[in-house]
Amino acid sequence: MFYRVILFFLLFQFFSITNSKAQNSELDIGVRLQKSVNLYYENGFTAQYTNNRLYSKRLYFGISYVTSRLGSAIGSNAINQDNIFLSTTYFFRPDRKLQPFLRLNTGYFYSDLEEEIFDDLPNSSILLSPEAGIRLKTNSPLKVGASFGYNIITGDGRKGPGTLYPVFIQSSITWSILNNTDQNEK
Amino acid sequence: MKNKVKLLILLSIFVGCGTEPDINETMLDGEEIFDPSLYEPEKYLVSVALPNPTPQEALKPVIIASHGYTATTFEWDEFRDFAEIGDNVLISQILLGGHGRSYEDFKNSGWKDWQTAIKKEYEDLVSAGYKNIHFLGSSTSGALFLELLSGSYFKNQPAPLQVLLVDPIVIPSNKTLSLIHVFGPMLGYLESDQSAEEDKVYYHFRPEETLRELQNLLNIVRKDLEKGIVLPQGTSLKVYKSKKDPTADPVSAVLIYKGVKTNSGGNIDVEMIDSDLHVYTRLDLRTFTTEDKENQTATFNDILDRVTGNN
Repeated sequence: MFYRVILFFLLFQFFSITNSKAQNSELDIGVRLQKSVNLYYENGFTAQYTNNRLYSKRLYFGISYVTSRLGSAIGSNAINQDNIFLSTTYFFRPDRKLQPFLRLNTGYFYSDLEEEIFDDLPNSSILLSPEAGIRLKTNSPLKVGASFGYNIITGDGRKGPGTLYPVFIQSSITWSILNNTDQNEK
Repeated sequence: MKNKVKLLILLSIFVGCGTEPDINETMLDGEEIFDPSLYEPEKYLVSVALPNPTPQEALKPVIIASHGYTATTFEWDEFRDFAEIGDNVLISQILLGGHGRSYEDFKNSGWKDWQTAIKKEYEDLVSAGYKNIHFLGSSTSGALFLELLSGSYFKNQPAPLQVLLVDPIVIPSNKTLSLIHVFGPMLGYLESDQSAEEDKVYYHFRPEETLRELQNLLNIVRKDLEKGIVLPQGTSLKVYKSKKDPTADPVSAVLIYKGVKTNSGGNIDVEMIDSDLHVYTRLDLRTFTTEDKENQTATFNDILDRVTGNN
């Protein structure tokens, strides 16, 4: 059921993006740099989409992938672990440069424990995390945001992956590659 | 209204800060119960009991058995009783710095103080001429041993032959420990959920200062493992880890396996144990099953086989 929901979400976003009647749509693509408090750096990519019909561009839908393979695990013995998640973000003050936001992420976490002797240890989990932060819009397509997040589901030594920690901070630097107006307006 | 809310938040922070625990004299935390090794060190430390070994005694395996955070020498009493039956090893049960004394002593100690007791006994044994020294550590002592191995401590002195870690902690099971630097000062201390009998051999209260020290130590050791720890020549290391551990997350074994290599570049030994106990080798004052007893016996035998060269 969970995967059907994700598939529906992806298809909805795809058709929203490709809908030629979408007014003033924006697609921001960039990097996401994330650090769990007292654990790993996990970095990767993010894409966020909105258009005028989504509460006058207050509401964004996005997808992100962050991994220790591009962070703490580079050239080290840190565990290779991956996070892929979908986001719904609400931005306040859409016409201002500095925009506080609230976000909800849901997705999947996986850590590669490599050896057979560790096969009995839990190494994957659903991800569910609210975030609160602030974004800076510039006069260019560049946008910079930062937030605190909290993973509601973590490991506890009996169930859940041991390296899925509760609190993280992240910053995203994105570039708007799609910023068009309605054909009718032209 | 906004000002009243701000005042309420500030008030609750101040009320939370600086509260003292309710300690009574039936607790180790008080001023009346202390670890027995403080009164009778000769019964606990080989360096005190046999300071001048004969050449033959100097070759006998000596195990430095070191306990975990908030614990005392009690944690290895059962192993000592088990080992003494065979009478072919000597055991130094050390008491970590700041432990086994009082809440104030514990509160004022840091992880380097905890580790000092390990180094002192080790150096005293080496000075006395003992040649066959091994480390056996539970929980936080595992992290303390790894920190010693990662640095230059053994560069100019003989290294232990076996380093045996029971339920070592690098990643805590309770992930709120990772937030201790933020919330610790507001909490003051945490309380353990343990029996009145356990209160005599484990600290009941955990000062937030010591929890911050513990988190600092775990961060240092985790990063040392990420960089890689190479064991001294002639040293072997084995981890015995409960698969379900409410205190030291089992993933700690993964980090140690990935992070530590023998001097010749080989892997260390890891044995994952079907247990849900933290420091499953200590069963006294606990409710335990037949399987728990079997796990304890098997591990004790394995430890003795390793230090006597039968494994």
